[in-house]
Amino acid sequence: MRQYMPLARGLARRYGRSSEPFEDLLQVASLGLLKALDRYDPGRGHAFASFAVPTILGEMRRYFRDSGWAVHVPRGTQERALRVRDAQARLAGKHGRTPTVNQLAEYLELDFEDVLDALQAIQAYETQSLDAPRPCADGEVVAYGETVGEDDERYELIELDATVTTVLGHIAPRDREILRMRFVEDLTQTEIAERVGVSQMQVSRLLRRSLEQLRTLAHAS
Amino acid sequence: MHEPPNVYLSLPGRPEYIVVVRQALTGLASVLGLDAIETNDLNTAVTEACNNVVMHAYAGEPGPMTVEVQIGAEAIVATVRDHGIGMGTARARAAGAPDAGAQAHDAGAPVGMGLAVIEALARRTRFGVPAGGGTEVHMEFALREHKAFEPIAQEPPGAFSPASGAVAVRLAPSSLAAAILPRVLSALAARAYFSAERIADVQALAGVLAANAGDALSAGQLAVGVSIAPRKLTLQIGPLRAGRGERLVVAGADGLAPVIERLTNAQRVAPAASGETLELDLVDGR
Repeated sequence: MRQYMPLARGLARRYGRSSEPFEDLLQVASLGLLKALDRYDPGRGHAFASFAVPTILGEMRRYFRDSGWAVHVPRGTQERALRVRDAQARLAGKHGRTPTVNQLAEYLELDFEDVLDALQAIQAYETQSLDAPRPCADGEVVAYGETVGEDDERYELIELDATVTTVLGHIAPRDREILRMRFVEDLTQTEIAERVGVSQMQVSRLLRRSLEQLRTLAHAS
Repeated sequence: MHEPPNVYLSLPGRPEYIVVVRQALTGLASVLGLDAIETNDLNTAVTEACNNVVMHAYAGEPGPMTVEVQIGAEAIVATVRDHGIGMGTARARAAGAPDAGAQAHDAGAPVGMGLAVIEALARRTRFGVPAGGGTEVHMEFALREHKAFEPIAQEPPGAFSPASGAVAVRLAPSSLAAAILPRVLSALAARAYFSAERIADVQALAGVLAANAGDALSAGQLAVGVSIAPRKLTLQIGPLRAGRGERLVVAGADGLAPVIERLTNAQRVAPAASGETLELDLVDGR
């Protein structure tokens, strides 16, 4: 077993990259290695490695499928996008110029490629929502970028998305309805204010409170 | 003989360029609707093949590495090719030696492990020797949904052969560019030490080109050559129909001129064998 641990470790690193807590994945790879050792029959003339590699990779693949990794990847990317965006602003403030990808990767202890993926997610998000002209309640066409602060809420919600459904039940019905209008119907705060019959300021306050509540609930659950 | 590809990348066979290949594949995977696990399989296998080129093909000398992807009805085939002395065990495998990869691994050679990974992840793996020598690895992956894609018909008329050390990307149909070009160019910009802010410009430019170059192209496919220097990329975009490069950068009908001018540092239109090539300089002048 010990002799082949570098094989399991190497495969975990190659296949998993930085997407999963490495220790978890290494455990799965070791399990695959155990299985391979158990089933290996030297009498059949194959080298052990040619038998073990597919067994270990198969185990990691199954772990990814079963653990819902495929679903978590986009969420992980979104979370990293937030961190990269914040770090970009922080490093720019500190050094007076925007950081390179290498600097961001080093600062956040992320892979170079993860930072690239994050920049891609930020860009995709911004072209989608910031530049997309959308009609306002009064018929005026406004770009998202001009409606201050709203993108932060949306980022947060993406981050919370998976846990939200389970804790949404704890939110008061009117607040839940406002959340739904904001994030499902994609209405602006002004549009919601008109529908609900309160001021836009109040909608903004209610949204912030609901999101805080959701975050607390999500952390508690 | 193999079918013409939909995606063609030619890069220096150096480790820092593997991330560019992975970014291109990630973009392609999103077009094809692959899930995260399928994307990871494709990326991991192709990365291993590229690693083998980097480590073994040119015995430490710089040499080109090409990656092609062919999109079929129910499978995609990725090919990684070099024109060097070969990938050792891959060559042995091409010559018909059974189990060469795994034996090499047992003997402690990392190349064997890479090949074992490729064979475990790809549905089919084939090794060959390309015209002119070297090694090629074909890796086939299942594709669930059928999508029809026009392949790159031929070397596009007036396509440039990038200088050694440069990168060439060819995409057919050019609609693949929207998902692939921003990722490829931002990875190259990141490698050229661009700041995150300037990379956002590169992404925006790639998006604009992908969205608008379509009917300016003369061959239904997009070819981009990229020369890389510290904080500077030079793009050659073509093959454009005569007069179209000028229209993209001179204010007028297409309305792109102000955008391209804002995002790039210099714009030139160069005549090519048939039609013309648009050349753009991107500098990060911090």
